[in-house]
Amino acid sequence: MMTLLNILLLLLVAISIPGVINRTRALLAGRKGIRFVQHLYNVRLLLRKGAVYSTTTSALFRFTPSVYLGAAVMALLFVPVGDLPPVMSFDGDLIAFAYTLALGRVALVLAAMDTGSPFEGMGASREALYGALAEPAMMLIMATMALISGNTSFESLFGEGEGVELRYTIVLLLASYTLIKLVFTESGRVPVDDPRTHLELTMIHEVMCLDYSGVDLGMIKIAGWLKTASLSMLAADTFCAAVGWGWWAAAPLAVLLSGVPIGVVESTQARNKLVRNTTFILTIAALAALVFFTGYLMQLNIVLE
Amino acid sequence: MLYLYTLSAFVAVIVLIFAAPLRWKSRVSLALTGAGAAVGSTLAVKTLLTGQTTHLWTLFGTPFGIDTGSMDPLSALFVVIISIGSIAATLYSRGYLAHYLEKKSPAHISLHYVSLTIMSLAMMAVVISDGGFSFLFFWELMTIASFILILFDAERREVQRAAMSYLIMMHIGFVLLVIGFARLETLTGSASFEALAHYFGQVESLPLFLVFLLGFGMKAGLFPLHVWLPEAHPAAPSHVSALMSGVMIKTGVYGILRVTAAVPEGQMLQNVGLIILLGGIVTGLWGVILAAAQNDIKRLLAYSSIENIGVILLGLGVAVLGKASGNEAMAAAGVVGTLLHTANHSFFKSLLFFGAGNVLSKTHTTSLDSLGGLGRHMPMTALLFLVGTVAICALPPLNGFVSELLIYLGMLKGIASGSNTLSSVAALSSLALIGGIVIIACTKLYGIVFLGSPRTHEVAEASEVDNTRIAAMVLPLAGILFVGLFPNVAIALIARAAGFFLGGDALQPIAQLIPTFTSVSRAAWVLVAIIALMAWVRHRLMKNRTVTTGPTWGCGFTATNVRMQYTGESFSEGLQSIARPLTHNFGTGESIGKGEIFPREHKFHIHHRDRIGRLLSAWWVGSLHVINSRVMRLRTGKINHYILFALAFLALVFVLSLFNKL
Repeated sequence: MMTLLNILLLLLVAISIPGVINRTRALLAGRKGIRFVQHLYNVRLLLRKGAVYSTTTSALFRFTPSVYLGAAVMALLFVPVGDLPPVMSFDGDLIAFAYTLALGRVALVLAAMDTGSPFEGMGASREALYGALAEPAMMLIMATMALISGNTSFESLFGEGEGVELRYTIVLLLASYTLIKLVFTESGRVPVDDPRTHLELTMIHEVMCLDYSGVDLGMIKIAGWLKTASLSMLAADTFCAAVGWGWWAAAPLAVLLSGVPIGVVESTQARNKLVRNTTFILTIAALAALVFFTGYLMQLNIVLE
Repeated sequence: MLYLYTLSAFVAVIVLIFAAPLRWKSRVSLALTGAGAAVGSTLAVKTLLTGQTTHLWTLFGTPFGIDTGSMDPLSALFVVIISIGSIAATLYSRGYLAHYLEKKSPAHISLHYVSLTIMSLAMMAVVISDGGFSFLFFWELMTIASFILILFDAERREVQRAAMSYLIMMHIGFVLLVIGFARLETLTGSASFEALAHYFGQVESLPLFLVFLLGFGMKAGLFPLHVWLPEAHPAAPSHVSALMSGVMIKTGVYGILRVTAAVPEGQMLQNVGLIILLGGIVTGLWGVILAAAQNDIKRLLAYSSIENIGVILLGLGVAVLGKASGNEAMAAAGVVGTLLHTANHSFFKSLLFFGAGNVLSKTHTTSLDSLGGLGRHMPMTALLFLVGTVAICALPPLNGFVSELLIYLGMLKGIASGSNTLSSVAALSSLALIGGIVIIACTKLYGIVFLGSPRTHEVAEASEVDNTRIAAMVLPLAGILFVGLFPNVAIALIARAAGFFLGGDALQPIAQLIPTFTSVSRAAWVLVAIIALMAWVRHRLMKNRTVTTGPTWGCGFTATNVRMQYTGESFSEGLQSIARPLTHNFGTGESIGKGEIFPREHKFHIHHRDRIGRLLSAWWVGSLHVINSRVMRLRTGKINHYILFALAFLALVFVLSLFNKL
């Protein structure tokens, strides 16, 4: 029952985040904005369409959307909403979560290379590089959580009701902040990438899907929402663990913590020059390392005179 | 008795293979290897299941004292790995060498098969020797057999160079091992690994450990002793690369495991753990960064082997640190991860080298930037290679993921318990980075070779290989799927080998891993089911839809051609821009000048070489030349000079013997 609630909340979060991003942008631009669920209508339209395939592509290209969406769904199964139990949990599922997302990434990178297009090759190369650089940041945050709580699965990290000791609050808040930054990189948002432009000008994620159309494109879009939702939910869970709130706070927080900042940043900032993206992502990794060491020092309980 | 058995096996292999008709040589070789593997594996599986050590031989009067051989669970695991790898490689060689049968002389082919068979058998003998004389004997036999195997295409100059540098480096390693065992024999009177454990129990001797680590590290490809690997693999025929990379370097890992297991708990074990962990981090990162830079299939795979040795040592380091600090959960996860990754790497690396062999034999090139679009022409090879690629990227639901998850789990246990926090977190972030860059390297490899459009017309005319080669590839594939989908069973199988490492009957912490990995197994099946479900939903949705085909969208540019595809070099350019200081980059040929309005035809190649390799080869090749020319001055050709040298030598011996009395 609780697991079912967990899944439902995650799906709600996944649907709401794009809506909140659009609303935030409209608000800041002084527009009325599109419907909150317009993206659902867009995808429904895609799912009803036929498809055009490039003659260069092979069966791998047609199979990839299933793998990409499948991996995103799988990753979602590991994620708890606050203290609710996730569908699947075992020792080390935090690693499984990160590697399942990586499976989706590899599938999409290979599909992009299957088209033989230089544009998609560029996108693939960047996606692989940024993914590689973001991985240590993700793992360091997981390590911080493990260090603080002494547990190694999501359920035991977030599920235990008593909350963490007060001294770790700041560390967890910082970890949550770092995870939100990772949401920006992993879902290809400004300042790493700009998904709003005409497809060819979007340099990483969207450019890899240039040759997808119809059902396939719809599946890739849904997978993107799920991926953003699972990472945002982790950020919200960390936040809730810091302040001791339950699942009722985690779900709306997940929407707000990633939706509002993404909307604000996209309205006020331009995309990075691509060479600066590596610096941007490595900075996140450095921040994650800093978070870890803060947690470590707190654990050692060093008191400065 | 051992002498007799070895000699008769030796003679039998030589006679049978040389006597066999040309087309039967591969079958005879396969039968002999298969017989050895069957005998070895039967005993090995029994040992793994019961945990009982079987004594095999005792020799008296060897230069290293009493010499014994026995099969314990750790040997048994390696015997199984070697058996699978050897059978697959011998089976593969049949198809791969088929078109060489006319080109090379029968004696040449026979020599190759004799070496292949002897190498497989010698590797098995290495892991069942208890150290000392027989260990060194089989170790050397393995080296020489692999040297002959690399020399198969001896007409090519780069093959000769690679084989020579391999032989030299292996013998430096061999000398280190001889020093280690000889020192051990003087100290304890015996040169077995048991004596080593006994000795380490009394004296904390880090130098002796380091001598062994370097000697075995040379075989395994430990940084900075890895430089022979990326030279030898491209030079050797593909089944030999598969055998060497998949199996032979694991004997180095085996040696390191044995020596590390001999260290008792204490301060020395802590230091040993830190050394191995650091070695693993550096080897892994160095290997993977160089792998991503390579533009040749086999060089890329060779560097990826170095990276995997790094991961194996990382896991071992975690296990040792866990053992040293009494953290059983950490040690168990680390050592099971290490052993499983050793087996896993032998599966997927054999598969990938076989795939590279298929590509080479059909297109006659291993250069990434001449290939492309092979997936259409070689569908089976492409599919199998894809599985290998996903496995080596450590992605669920395949085997690489299982072993890396175990190693990660060991690190997380170390962090969560607070005992080895800093070393564990250093290893954790390195392994995460290694995992990320492996994805760059392997998607580059697969994407450039098998996807997109063919870059040359030879590639466009390639066809699928024969069925024996596909069959040889299915063998490692079975291992990949088995470990990936049933990790709990795999862990239960190797539990005793891991328990041996932890010391005593320490099966309890390993048994605690099994429920976790039953869940991992379930997760793997769920993932497969979800993907299948998605594919089915997609299939249903696509029914009755208009599906058309057209050219790849060129963003409005209509004159795209195959040369405009993203190349291997450009794919890894982003990483190169960060990692440039680590590689030695240079271009050969002439690039298009800025002033050329109507460019002529140009040939330009970019190379990324190993700075360590360059440093070492430049240093010793140079000094060897100098020493050689000095020594040549002594060769005067006059008999009286030579008699003088002999007298001087005798005098030297007398003088040195005086020191012996002190």
